[in-house]
Amino acid sequence: MDQLLQHLVNTLILGGTYALLGIGLTLIFGIMNVVNFTHGALYTMGAYLMYLAVTALGLGFFLALPAAILGGLLLGAVIEFVLLRPLRGSDIDTTMLVMIGAGIVLQSGTLWIFGGVAKSVPTPFPDAPLHLGPVSVSWLRLFVLGAALALIGLTYALINRTRLGLAMRATFQDHDTAALMGVNVRLIYTATFAIGSSLAAAAGALLGPVYVVFPQMGGLAELKAFAIVILGGLGNITGAAIGGFILALAEELGAGYISSGYRDAMGFLIIIAVLVFRPTGLFARAERIG
Amino acid sequence: MLEIRDLVCGYGHVTALKGLSIRVEAGQLVALVGANGAGKSTTLRAISGLVPPRSGTITFEGRDITGAEPRRVLGHGIAHCPEGRRVFPQMSVAENLALGAYRRRDGAGIAADLAHVYGEFPRLAERRHQAAGTLSGGEQQMLAIGRALMSRPKLVLFDEPSLGLAPNIVERMFSVIRTICDAGTTVLLVEQNAFAALELCDHAYLLETGRIVRAGSGAALIADPHVREAYLGG
Repeated sequence: MDQLLQHLVNTLILGGTYALLGIGLTLIFGIMNVVNFTHGALYTMGAYLMYLAVTALGLGFFLALPAAILGGLLLGAVIEFVLLRPLRGSDIDTTMLVMIGAGIVLQSGTLWIFGGVAKSVPTPFPDAPLHLGPVSVSWLRLFVLGAALALIGLTYALINRTRLGLAMRATFQDHDTAALMGVNVRLIYTATFAIGSSLAAAAGALLGPVYVVFPQMGGLAELKAFAIVILGGLGNITGAAIGGFILALAEELGAGYISSGYRDAMGFLIIIAVLVFRPTGLFARAERIG
Repeated sequence: MLEIRDLVCGYGHVTALKGLSIRVEAGQLVALVGANGAGKSTTLRAISGLVPPRSGTITFEGRDITGAEPRRVLGHGIAHCPEGRRVFPQMSVAENLALGAYRRRDGAGIAADLAHVYGEFPRLAERRHQAAGTLSGGEQQMLAIGRALMSRPKLVLFDEPSLGLAPNIVERMFSVIRTICDAGTTVLLVEQNAFAALELCDHAYLLETGRIVRAGSGAALIADPHVREAYLGG
């Protein structure tokens, strides 16, 4: 029983960052119809930006986080502007190949610049974990959960409560008619890609300090993000949020009760099961962005 | 007010408009009638910037708007009420109307226009929090019209507003369009329902395979033997 409680707490903490990853990916797919193969690289970039901001810039952990998120936002905007904007209207295969290429460039670039040795990000949290009855949890992980939930809430508010969000939802539902309403659709695409990228970077910046930072860390994260998005239904933000927690639960229980060696296999078992039994995702086809 | 000269437009290898020229004077209700595929919708889509013209010019109030982006065209005062209503189905009625006023920043003016639209269409007011996709076809058309008016346009382009609506609602819809024009907004109406459009309008053009083949008052076109033969059932 105590072990189960511990697994559930771990699920919450891991699930928050998984949800961020999934929401970012599903947002970009839903509004732009682009499968973002740079998502993992952006996750890695977020972690390295966090590392740089704390060590080289000496920003301090709590300032470094928004700086890393902002960095992801800008990087996403640049990728959209340079690569996706000229490709608008070309077929999905071309766009996918270009994005796969961009992902490789980003990953190899980090390897080239930072080398292959894993880095760890110093944190201001005490090493001793917090004990809550039978459950123990590190302060860092608690902070990660809080920050992830805050960012999910912020994303929801942005999409449902702001003028930009209104334009994003309109573009998602009918981009031609959105243009007739005066929405600058190209700007919405750039903003969407930038926001989705910043969420991937945020997930990396949050999990980087928990584990270690290395150039290939994004590969597995990207596959997991795809699992989450398929689980929740393509383009479905709430589905992605819930999907993030479901994947985390499956990983935790799989690692705890089956074998820790199968932790990362759980996501792919889920993808296979969902594609066989409910190919549109657990939560039906995207009813709406938001 | 609006003048189109020698407009050529197409999709891929298909040329939809082969040198179309029309004029819309301020305050008029002008109808553009013709069969399915004659190029009526393409004309409207070219005006509002959704389809780039291959050649020809579009001027509005003396300004060249040929090939301008949709939001620029809207900014000059042209609203487009698209074919098939195209309301945002998963958004509420209120959000759809808010999108109509998307480029406006005058809060008080928007509130006044919103009150006006709700006054004109009380059904929309009753259902303001309901998703637009759950409305009936007629209500969706009223919402599309209301949404177009929310930009406070000088000219409204209506694309097949009668499509798929019950006859009594079609009648009401045409009277709404006449009222809009009488209140001072210029209207360019595209319709397959030629008789109703010709009865309603001040001036009309007949479009066949990408070219204007007849122009004149609605009454003149109704009396025209070719129009009677081909469009009004003899």
